[in-house]
Amino acid sequence: MPAGAVTALGDVDIRVDAHDYVAITGPSGCGKSTLLHILGCVDQPTAGSLVFEGRDVSTLKESDRSRIRLTRIGFVFQRFFLLPMLTAWENIELPQAEAGAAKPARRDRTRELLDYVGLAGRRDHRPSQLSGGEMQRVAIARALANRPALLLADEPTGELDEETGAQIASLFDRVHGDGTAIVVVTHNPAVAARAGRHLAMKSGRVITS
Amino acid sequence: MTAWGLAWRTIARSPARSVLAVAGVTVIGALLFNMLLLSRGLLVSFRDLLDNAGYDIRVIAAQGSMAHRPPIADATSLAEAIARLPEVESIALVRTDLGQVSAPGENAAWTPIELIGMTDSKGGGWTIVKGSPLPTGPSAGEPPVVVNTTLASMLHLEPGSRLRLRLTSAGSASALPLVTVRVIGVGGFAFEASGDLNVATTMAGFAVAHGTPADRQAEMVLVASRPGAAAPALAAIARLRPDVRVLSNDQVMAQFNENAFSYFRQISAVLSSMTLAFAFLLIATLLTMSVNQRLGEVAALRALGFPRRRIAANLLWESALLVGIGGTAAIPVGGVLAIILDRILRQMPGVPARLHFFVFEPRTVVLHAALLALTGAVAALYPIWLATRLPIAATLRREILS
Repeated sequence: MPAGAVTALGDVDIRVDAHDYVAITGPSGCGKSTLLHILGCVDQPTAGSLVFEGRDVSTLKESDRSRIRLTRIGFVFQRFFLLPMLTAWENIELPQAEAGAAKPARRDRTRELLDYVGLAGRRDHRPSQLSGGEMQRVAIARALANRPALLLADEPTGELDEETGAQIASLFDRVHGDGTAIVVVTHNPAVAARAGRHLAMKSGRVITS
Repeated sequence: MTAWGLAWRTIARSPARSVLAVAGVTVIGALLFNMLLLSRGLLVSFRDLLDNAGYDIRVIAAQGSMAHRPPIADATSLAEAIARLPEVESIALVRTDLGQVSAPGENAAWTPIELIGMTDSKGGGWTIVKGSPLPTGPSAGEPPVVVNTTLASMLHLEPGSRLRLRLTSAGSASALPLVTVRVIGVGGFAFEASGDLNVATTMAGFAVAHGTPADRQAEMVLVASRPGAAAPALAAIARLRPDVRVLSNDQVMAQFNENAFSYFRQISAVLSSMTLAFAFLLIATLLTMSVNQRLGEVAALRALGFPRRRIAANLLWESALLVGIGGTAAIPVGGVLAIILDRILRQMPGVPARLHFFVFEPRTVVLHAALLALTGAVAALYPIWLATRLPIAATLRREILS
């Protein structure tokens, strides 16, 4: 039996500025992740538009949207999605290589990011040899690899214990302090509390901002 | 990291599955390699046999074929006329008949043989391994013969041995004489089949065995043209007599290719197609399974901005690696298999023992590689489509929920 159409988001109008730190919260199924995916140029809205750095994303080809995601937006996922056959170093280096960065620049940036997330000593470890918190830190480093203007995180502490989640939240603070805009979808009140703006969502709408 | 490097790491990540996949491609590739060898093996081998016989033109009666050769009337005159052509270097007349031989002695058993009469001492197709070749001129006394190694071994014949010979032409056996012949050589016959028993003699010896004076008949005239003069020689011979067929080695090959060899070519084509279909299914299934197991990773890579072409390149390389490693291993495995199968097939009755069914040619390796590469590329199409067209957001959501 065909399912009826579901409106995941409706009447949402938000603006994220260069140095914003936005937390999106709400019950499961309220459209938080859909909003995040639209903000990240992963999903296309069926109506309305998304303007990123002055460009209407809905008019761009998929290859151009991919390029924006690669170079201007960083993604952090709940389940990390590190490539299991690559080391921490290689996982961080991969997006830079894809973006066309030269090898010396990649090397310097990867070393810098591993230091930044406190994993310099784990550079040659594969994801299976890292803890959940360490994997998420590698994922954050990977997301920052191409110096994005916007970092999007979907339940970044969802798979972590409270203490490790707090460490990740602190890392986000640091990333934001260094000038990267962050939008984080979270159920974790401690993470949401650190954001400068808080969007509460319900049934596909932003109810408080 | 290059697409190649990433593909290699992906394959190495599941060693058991990769080893099984490579083993599968190796087995399938070996069978494909065998079928490709078989598709041209007989042609190449038979061509080699023809060329090594030392003659490039064959003249037979117009109503005959290479397999069934009725006598050419007054072949001697024809041969003399051919020999006078400036394009011709040498000629030989050939006759064959069935007969029996036995060692001297009243109670010795009779052994069936094929008797070959030739005017050429080197026989245009046998190699003397013991003793001497047939004399070029007339020889006094008992007709000289060269026997093949199988007959020599069976009857313990050596140069100097004597044999009783009688022909067994249908309907005339009782009228044919029993003659004693003298073994002067033992040789390997180019066109002999496994188990064949051959005796070769001069045309004079052949006439003695028939109990008649030389009757100027022959089944075939073999002609060696001068270098570069094969085509004009062919045309000149054809003009000499309308009641003969003049065939170049190419035409003989074409005749065999249309008839006897076409079965093997068709079998080879069918089995090659089947092996390629198996290779396609194996690779497509493995890659599809592999993609389905890492949809989350693929979606994440796409979300991180990796373009579709990069995902496609990774999968193509994975396919190329599986096919490349398996296909390379298939060559030696297929080679060994070909040797075994060749040995079995050459035991078939009536097949010249020096004829090979599986003949290695560099072009076969190239064709094998090209077919496997194409199959690998086609097999990767569906997994590539699956990976590059997946809905990123929905896949990520599903992976989180699962």
